[in-house]
Amino acid sequence: MSFIPGLGLVKGMGLTLLRFFEPKATIRYPEEKPDVAVRFRGRLQLLYDEWGTLKCETCFQCAQACPIECIDMGGMDTKGRFHVHWGPPETYGERREESALRRSGRTVPDRAFEHFEPHDTTAVDGILEDHDYDPKALLEILEATQAAYGFLPVAALKRISEKTGTWYAMIYGTASYYSHLRFEPPAAEIQAAALAGRRPAEATYVAGLGASLHGRTGGDA
Amino acid sequence: MTAILKTPAAWPAILLRREGETGGETARDPKRRAAAAGAAGPAFDGLRRSVRELGSRGTIALLAEAGLRGRGGGGFPTADKWRAAANAEAPAKYVVANGYGADPSSLTDRTIVEREPDAVVEGVAIAAWTIGAEEAIIAVRAGSTDAIAALQGAIDAALSRGELGDDALATGRRLVVEVRTVQGAYMLGEETVLLKALDGRRGQPEQRPPHPSTTGYRGMPTVVQNVQTLASAAWILRNGAAAFRATGTAETPGTILVQVAGNEQGGVAEVPFGTPLGDIVKLAGGVGAGRSIKAVLVGGPSGGILPADRLSTPYTFEALRLLGAHVGSGSIMVADDRACVVDLARVLTRFCADEACGKTIPCRIGTARLAEIGERMSAGTSRAGDVQLATDLADDIVGSGLCDHERLATLPLMSGLRYFGPEVAAHVERGECPAGVCRPIHFAASAPTAPQPTMAS
Repeated sequence: MSFIPGLGLVKGMGLTLLRFFEPKATIRYPEEKPDVAVRFRGRLQLLYDEWGTLKCETCFQCAQACPIECIDMGGMDTKGRFHVHWGPPETYGERREESALRRSGRTVPDRAFEHFEPHDTTAVDGILEDHDYDPKALLEILEATQAAYGFLPVAALKRISEKTGTWYAMIYGTASYYSHLRFEPPAAEIQAAALAGRRPAEATYVAGLGASLHGRTGGDA
Repeated sequence: MTAILKTPAAWPAILLRREGETGGETARDPKRRAAAAGAAGPAFDGLRRSVRELGSRGTIALLAEAGLRGRGGGGFPTADKWRAAANAEAPAKYVVANGYGADPSSLTDRTIVEREPDAVVEGVAIAAWTIGAEEAIIAVRAGSTDAIAALQGAIDAALSRGELGDDALATGRRLVVEVRTVQGAYMLGEETVLLKALDGRRGQPEQRPPHPSTTGYRGMPTVVQNVQTLASAAWILRNGAAAFRATGTAETPGTILVQVAGNEQGGVAEVPFGTPLGDIVKLAGGVGAGRSIKAVLVGGPSGGILPADRLSTPYTFEALRLLGAHVGSGSIMVADDRACVVDLARVLTRFCADEACGKTIPCRIGTARLAEIGERMSAGTSRAGDVQLATDLADDIVGSGLCDHERLATLPLMSGLRYFGPEVAAHVERGECPAGVCRPIHFAASAPTAPQPTMAS
């Protein structure tokens, strides 16, 4: 067989060209499925609504359902309290700092990662001792922790999780539900609330209802 | 403290004693009232009768005979609930009294706790005795210091008289009542959510069955009752089923506290079931001179908007549900001729959507879309088919909802569509507001960044 230069290339491209003109079909799909790990649930993705805000409510039900605890989040939820990153937040923080250092030669402070900074947890230890490390008293523990720190630092939540043996996702999911619990220092929250033009839902409702019932007269009522 | 509206003398007084019966000043001050109760002691006659004469079965039979139904909005027969819990085999059982009062504009639960803490505690004790619980919890809103002080006073007094404690009523059985404060979510008024909060978990409702009466607080059989129901139960034990049957209607005997708000005054009143809505509205003086009643909002944030020509409707669970309203938080608010029904429905639906816990999709997304439709109507930017879309969406939410929050959250908009068709049509078809309340320009100016209109401040 004589050597013709480029024959292999032509053969290869020929096959590609043949495939190109074949009818498009899903071949053997329902009978034969791709071989994926049993635990595979598809790619995790947070969805955005029409206005570009995350639909995530930070209920942490996904994190609670994950058998290998690979989901964790930090960040701003739909109520403007936190924003959401995927993956272990500490990793994000480190990577971000590294790349900032590489690009600019100096670290850039970012408020989004302040939540994950280490915190003095002696106060939490005392509170846990008072509540007998009982996960059933979680709400009281969280309220006492907030009273001690002014807000709920992530480090404190992790400490509660370690000491009581409760899943961190469960603790975070509980804390993000109740409107009187906050993850940021009060001053920052007031500022954030002012920026978002928000008021507590109940106060807004009562004011709106009053205005709606008795009619708005003149101006903005 | 909330104003108590004067009701006609012929109306029964079961939940709240009338002014004068408790000695004027003392009745108004919860701390002094609790102290007086401790000294003189309204002996827990109902509890004694339940324990010494009737026993568990007898008490449940008496409540069934009296036809007591839950005052928390659902109207579920109390005797059935207690019987299920009493028959359940478990190492521990609990009673939870719901005095949270979720509706921010209604103070009925707080009023009865502040003014009649003894009746509430007695009712809790009776429930605990009847189902065989040793521990009971009264959940109230954090920050309602008067209510907490009143309850604690009543509990301490009962402890000192030996009606509660390790050896309650000298029967050798332990019976303790604890006041717990909860806060931070509207949904805490729902029984399974309240149980979750007491358990220290995220407050999302559970599918039923299993009902809390078999699997509730800490996984044990739990009777969850509104504080008004428990106070009524105590009254029935003291005065008998026949006397209770003599009030209210045949299906729903007894009375309920309502929060009435008129234009000039408002407050809490005790009304027998079956009272026409118009009579209840009159208690608060209606809308005052020179104005006419346009609509009545019955049931709180998820209530129905009923037109003025339905004021003859009797205030019962069934009659209100038929009209597309519900008893709910016991709130009855009067809207005068200046109010716009679309605007009102928008405010209510938005609150319900904001307070959705996010557990189920029909609720989390459905109520949000419903609120957006309401906001579009109000802002004059309705799209073709919005009315049909809202109706279909509401049907789907009702059909697939997990708890009553989402099912009832459709009521404001749906009752608005049902009774005020022409007014809604003016908004949708012509972008006009007959009452002159909804102003698209106003919303555009107030929300420069967010496309959805914010609540007018």
